Amino acid sequence: MPQFSLYEEEYHPSPLQRTWREFTSSHIAVLGLFVLAIFLIFALFAPLIAPFNPVEQNIDSLLIPPSWETNGTIAHLFGTDALGRDVFSRIIYGCRVTFGSSILLVIIAMLIGVSIGTFAGMMSGVRSSVMNHLLDALMAIPTLLIAIIIVAILGTGLVNSMWAITLALIPQFIHYTRSFVRSEMKKEYVLASKLDGANAWQLFRHSILPNMIEMLVVQGSLALSIAVIDVSALGFLNLGAQPPLPELGAILADGLDVAYLAPWNVGLPGLSIFLMVLAINIVGDGLRSALRKRVSH
Amino acid sequence: MRILGRFGILFSLTLLVLAIFSFALAYLFPGDVLTNLTGIIPQNDAHRELLIQKHRLDEAYFFQFVHYLSEMLQGNWGYSFVSGLSLKEEIGLALPATIELAFYAMFIAIVIGLPVGCYAGLKSYTAADYSINSVSMVGYSFPVFWLALLFILLFSLELNIAPLSGRISLLFDVPDKTGFILIDILLADNIDTSLALRDAFHHLLLPTLALSVISTASMIRMTRRSVIDVLNRPYITAARSRGLSRWQTFSRHILRNALLPVLPLLAIQITSLITNAMIVETLFSWPGIGSWLIQAIYQRDYPALRVGMLAVATVVIMLTITIDLFNRLIDPSRDKYERATV
Repeated sequence: MPQFSLYEEEYHPSPLQRTWREFTSSHIAVLGLFVLAIFLIFALFAPLIAPFNPVEQNIDSLLIPPSWETNGTIAHLFGTDALGRDVFSRIIYGCRVTFGSSILLVIIAMLIGVSIGTFAGMMSGVRSSVMNHLLDALMAIPTLLIAIIIVAILGTGLVNSMWAITLALIPQFIHYTRSFVRSEMKKEYVLASKLDGANAWQLFRHSILPNMIEMLVVQGSLALSIAVIDVSALGFLNLGAQPPLPELGAILADGLDVAYLAPWNVGLPGLSIFLMVLAINIVGDGLRSALRKRVSH
Repeated sequence: MRILGRFGILFSLTLLVLAIFSFALAYLFPGDVLTNLTGIIPQNDAHRELLIQKHRLDEAYFFQFVHYLSEMLQGNWGYSFVSGLSLKEEIGLALPATIELAFYAMFIAIVIGLPVGCYAGLKSYTAADYSINSVSMVGYSFPVFWLALLFILLFSLELNIAPLSGRISLLFDVPDKTGFILIDILLADNIDTSLALRDAFHHLLLPTLALSVISTASMIRMTRRSVIDVLNRPYITAARSRGLSRWQTFSRHILRNALLPVLPLLAIQITSLITNAMIVETLFSWPGIGSWLIQAIYQRDYPALRVGMLAVATVVIMLTITIDLFNRLIDPSRDKYERATV
């Protein structure tokens, strides 16, 4: 007998709405999203928010402490560095460089990784086995090593370090896409559309891709946190963004020279990298558990 | 046996690809191919001719590569631009230092991460679980270079607990035998062993701590997720309904099944651990392969980069493939890769 309830109205939230509802039920995840949104606003509207030019040097105000210390001024919220540049403006522009380039390179890595991964997943036999194992082995090469090699070939610079990190992120996307496509290809709805005469592209476009988007979002958030850490690590090691360009890792490396005199030059850029990564991880974790709960309910 | 054969083939194939790549690097790097390959700057034309003859650079690429491969296998890895020393000796000194550091960090991660992760998984969705989870999330998000800097500022400069750099105080003259400092100290006979050990531990403290915070955090998260996944399986309910005690279900059913998907993730962990170790080394002036490679890139020491990359990649891939093989041997039913999520 079909059950029907008089009082509950018939309302089926879409999968997206259900995910959102599960996501917002965790307060920490929403807080993380909020922090991430602030960083995104910093990245998008840096020239409007930053009170000073990030590369402008001012010899009248060297190493002013942050505004909450007794010697600080409110004009320089986070103080100034050894060249009299305003740390707050530099951090905001730094968010723009670090966060923006990370997002860009994750998108590129995702596009390339997903297309190769799909091919690998649809292949079979010896060819796919060789390719899969080689890709797995490639995944094992540390990012820093790839970055060092690329920098040695092409020279230092933000763009070159971005290529290096993209190259290091691609195998992960390939791996997850390939195993996802593999498991999906065995399912019955794919078989049904195959019997309907769908070719490989149609199978991918209409059957597999819509189901893959969630996995991609989750993997993308993981990759984004890795990318932010790697971009700033390379900047810190002086292999990525070069000094005048405000990149959070490079700012941190700059501050290292005066770390004992002016610890805020090390503390604050590092703290912003840490907060950025933490926010990305919290949002990613919230998304993952929201998706998991949505499926299990 | 078949699995062993397959992994052997995979391993040699990967090494071959890496060797081809490292050979190609000599052509890709800016500068003279001959110098990039050997690390020797020819004095005059006659010397140059001799070197080209010796390394068969006048022949086709294929024969050049075969010669290069045989040289590598014989241990003639070329010379460093900067120091002029044999690269094999330099790497032989630097690589064990990194492996030692990474090993201790991994050891701490497993010793602390596994039990804590299991505990959090068993008590899932309670206050204890939430606090463990959030602490591990924070630990997982630290950029390693900043964490190491904070440790230096706090413990070395403010509190003066731990030394700033190096592996051991220069007062101790420890002969290099294995390259692992603690073993070397135990093997050395002309020094005060307990004092030297204490000094070495002091030097090890901060780099290991900085590394292990991140790997422990991800270990906790992986174990917790995996335990929670296993708890929902029907065989756990079956075990409970058979009347097994809490401890029995845990040790017989939960632990074993939960550790299986963690093992392949360990292989991925090694990669990020080595990356982190390389960064931490430069901060603590630890004489490992990471600071060596970064010095090499600052000085544009191309032969060193070429061989160093090959050495590090070989070690990492060897470890990864061993773990994968181990995983396959423990659980032959697992034909396809199944990996837990973080």
